[in-house]
Amino acid sequence: MKKGLLMVSAVLLMVSMLAMGCPPEVEPEQRLVVAMGVEPPTLEPIRMACSPAATVSQHITQPLVYLDVDGSLDPSLAKSWEVSPDGLVWTLELRQDVKFHDGTPFNAEAVKFNLDRFLDPDNAAPFRFLIERITEVEVAGDYTVKLHLDEPFAPLVAHLSHSFIGMLSPTAVKALPEGELVDYPVGTGPFKMYEWVRGEHITLVANDEYWGGRPRLDKIVWEFIPEDATRVMRLEAGDVHHIYRVPPMDVPRLEADPEIEVVRASSVRVIYVGFNCLVEPFDNPKVRRALNYAIDREAIVEFVLGGAGRPSDAPIVPAVFGHHAAGPYEFNPEKARQLLAEAGFPDGFSTTLYHPTGRYMKDVAVAEAVQAQLRDVGVEVELVTMEWAAYLAYLRKPPEEATHTMYLLGWGTVTLDADYGLYALFHSSQWPTAGWALSFYKNEAVDDLLDAARITPDLAKRQATYKEAIELIWEDAPWIFLYDEVQINAQCASVRGLVLHPTERVQAWDAWIEK
Amino acid sequence: MWQYVLRRLILTIPVLIGVSLLVFAMVRLVPGCPAVAIAGVHATPEFVEQVRRDLGLDRPLHTQYFIFVGNLLRGDLGVSTRTGRPAATEIWDKFPNTVELAMASTLVASVIGIIAGVISATRQHSIFDSGSMLVALFGVSVPVFWLGLVLMLLFAVTLDWLPAGGRGGTIEYLILPAITLGAASAAIIARMTRSSMLEVLRQDFITTARAKGLRERIVTYKHALKNALIPVVTIIGLQSGILLGGAVLTETVFAWPGVGRLMVDSIMARDFPVVQGAVLLFAVCFVFVNLFVDVLYSFLDPRIRYE
Amino acid sequence: MVVDQEAAVTVSQKTSPFWDGIRRLKRNRMAMVGLVIISIFVLCAVLAPWIAPHDPLDPSLPHTLQEPSPANPLGRDELGRDILSRILHGARISLSIGLISVAIGALIGVPIGAISGYYGGKIDLIVQRLIDIMLAFPGILMAIVIVSTLGVGLRNVMIAVGIVSIPIYVRLVRGSVLQVKEQEYISSARALGSSNLRIISRHILPNCLGPIIVQSTLQIATAILWASGLGFLGLGAQAPTPEWGTMLSRGRVFIRVAPHVTIVPGLAILLSVMGFNLLGDGLRDALDPRLKR
Repeated sequence: MKKGLLMVSAVLLMVSMLAMGCPPEVEPEQRLVVAMGVEPPTLEPIRMACSPAATVSQHITQPLVYLDVDGSLDPSLAKSWEVSPDGLVWTLELRQDVKFHDGTPFNAEAVKFNLDRFLDPDNAAPFRFLIERITEVEVAGDYTVKLHLDEPFAPLVAHLSHSFIGMLSPTAVKALPEGELVDYPVGTGPFKMYEWVRGEHITLVANDEYWGGRPRLDKIVWEFIPEDATRVMRLEAGDVHHIYRVPPMDVPRLEADPEIEVVRASSVRVIYVGFNCLVEPFDNPKVRRALNYAIDREAIVEFVLGGAGRPSDAPIVPAVFGHHAAGPYEFNPEKARQLLAEAGFPDGFSTTLYHPTGRYMKDVAVAEAVQAQLRDVGVEVELVTMEWAAYLAYLRKPPEEATHTMYLLGWGTVTLDADYGLYALFHSSQWPTAGWALSFYKNEAVDDLLDAARITPDLAKRQATYKEAIELIWEDAPWIFLYDEVQINAQCASVRGLVLHPTERVQAWDAWIEK
Repeated sequence: MWQYVLRRLILTIPVLIGVSLLVFAMVRLVPGCPAVAIAGVHATPEFVEQVRRDLGLDRPLHTQYFIFVGNLLRGDLGVSTRTGRPAATEIWDKFPNTVELAMASTLVASVIGIIAGVISATRQHSIFDSGSMLVALFGVSVPVFWLGLVLMLLFAVTLDWLPAGGRGGTIEYLILPAITLGAASAAIIARMTRSSMLEVLRQDFITTARAKGLRERIVTYKHALKNALIPVVTIIGLQSGILLGGAVLTETVFAWPGVGRLMVDSIMARDFPVVQGAVLLFAVCFVFVNLFVDVLYSFLDPRIRYE
Repeated sequence: MVVDQEAAVTVSQKTSPFWDGIRRLKRNRMAMVGLVIISIFVLCAVLAPWIAPHDPLDPSLPHTLQEPSPANPLGRDELGRDILSRILHGARISLSIGLISVAIGALIGVPIGAISGYYGGKIDLIVQRLIDIMLAFPGILMAIVIVSTLGVGLRNVMIAVGIVSIPIYVRLVRGSVLQVKEQEYISSARALGSSNLRIISRHILPNCLGPIIVQSTLQIATAILWASGLGFLGLGAQAPTPEWGTMLSRGRVFIRVAPHVTIVPGLAILLSVMGFNLLGDGLRDALDPRLKR
């Protein structure tokens, strides 16, 4: 009955339009297609561990705090936060107008539910360490949460902004059968999960009731296309709007195309060659500095990476809070040879460089370039490619068992806070197997500075402390500082408002397609 | 006859046990600790410990094996360390795509191979014959991944006739991968068909048929081909090995979301449960296709003795 | 006395069919083409250090992906290395992979096959079941599994491809042994008091030599193909080794802008494999009339 009426009125409408001689002015569906190289293995917060997962999930399940592109921490589900004078209790005030996609209200109980789940050792969330200083999550009011810490931890809020700590509807999680993990997350975000065809795509639809206002896009489709060349072709054919990781060689052609816009953004990852500072000849800082002078970073970045990098001027990238430009080391083979001679190696020496394959952009080619450049100053390097897992196991041995000499590795400071980038890699308490200080670097002054920065809530003071630490690390050169990776994506020129975040995430909630 | 089938079936049991042993041993022989590998860079020691427990790495080997086989029989291959979903689900999701590709390339290979073989045989020493045997030589010598890349360069990049990869659900996505994967088999089938035809054409009953004044075409296609195809059927079946192995490479070249590609990705990610499952699936498929071909052959060719 | 007699038997068994075979082979044009191709590759491999125009490992960063030019007839790769020089040096690697892995397969497979066929009984049964299990894995798949278990590297590639070819030799030799085992001269050798080992090595194996040579030639072709496939999947040689499959795989990222980096190594693989296939087919026709198609 109702249907019939609808049909009649539709027909009438069409007839009247035809009569008026103009086509129906229907706003076309705003559907954005993004092609990524890697499919998220899962969108379950306690299992996620890679940026593709973070990219998709942050549209659905939001973290409490938003980390902006410039590194500032903005209110999101948490309106405000403050820390007690002793640094041991953080109080978060939550928004009161938020509902999960299934209608469950978002409140302090929901936050406690999610953080407890993330922290539960039995759940073994890979990124649990981000907030493991929290000993208790206290519901202090309907919309107030107190986080109790076992020791002061200044980067806590930065860590809470991590997309993996997304808020799930407790109702939806509790409805899961025992032992099952979340497949289709239910969150508070601007988009809702619609469909996941494994190996092909994930589709999200706009959340009409989004607390920040309905997004202009109706749908986002995340397509998974592993081959770089295929992604580029799909973009050129107009099948997709935005593609990840354009091969540098294709950039000039895409830039010449008026329909296509190449988008560059800094990344949070530095690529470096670490030394084992405990073994000869790398126990001598002169040798380590010499090798830094032997590398032509500009040439590597320009010709091997096709411009998708930037010579490192610090052990962390500029986007990270605490960054200070101490370099880059200049390319000066003469100086390298001279330093080597001073260190007692006028004829150079032989050593081994271990490196992974397929893990970082052009990692093997970069290792080969480093090998050739070191050969020019008399250092003969043998390359050993290792499969990623075996490689990590090999590197991550306690000092007395470690046999590595030089190793190529990258580190992404995904929290955009220097603590995560420096403490884990240069503090002597983090030597394996405790952490990832694989170069066995130890400088007590650096240890003290990094400890101090950890518990200093004052931002300017923290910044100054990190500056001092970076300068010491730079001079001691426990790494050959190579380059910061740069992200190169591309999109149709009609796409507006899409944000490419330094953490390798595309953010589409403010995006639309200009017709 | 049925006794023969039964015997062949029973003979596959020790093979399957051996296969499961090999697949089981594979993971234990890996250098480096799989638990650390799986847990990842950012993992806490507790998580590594849990992974170790999940993998049963702290128990004696034979116990681990019995657990492994027990789970296997229940269809439980473990949980993919990459996705957290059951490895069996991961593999089954991709399996139809591999079957699709394998069927398509078998079709391509059989049609091209048989036609080329028959024409070559009937016109032995003609230009077509030498030409197609040269192409066949190319087919068995060309690296399948290179052929795929060259075809892609030609038909997808330069001419822009076909998609360069992926599985869009339409037939044009299937064309290049199927031809690439089928090339080697087509070559072998063509050679086999040719020699088999030549042999049959020399036999008495063909001479008799000709002597009876039957038209050459009828002799060729009705009498000779029917008999010549029997060994060809076997060869087509035996191509499944080449096909399954080639699928790993072809799927990688064309980004075809099948089990082969999943296996390569999982090897790179050290996702052992999925690698084990994929290898097992390939081996079981191969064993049963061979079994099927043997049985089929014994039906087709009554001369076979079932000793 | 006994020794002389035996030698005479073996020699007369070997010589005449062998020289017959060579004569037949010489008349086989395709086989000669194969031999010429192989000879060229062998020459390249042996002389690579002297005839290669550049150092195959020496990068020249400003000249990455340069197209073929008079100075670099096959162009340069992603690090600006001379592709011609890398192909020439790569010939050494591919040929040694082929030879060594086939040697591994033959050295293990032939004795096992001979013993299995000669003694029969339980040993034969066990060997056959083991071989069944190995054959349950499609060739290259087995190689992939072995390499991904043992770890990446040229040595492991040779081992893997070698292991995968063992069953082929076992089957081949066992079949031949079963055929000659019951022949008269074997019984007479046994009657003369020769040990089993002696009978196998002096009387039986020489008779299988033809098929083994044929199979080995074809198997080298397969080994080169498999090894390049492993290289393509990133399971092959250590960088910066100029292994053809690895070179091809590294080049495919640039297939649109610099196709020569991918195409050239593929042609090298194709030609060398074709050479061994041609020679193998020719040898089969010449040495082993039984297998003639």
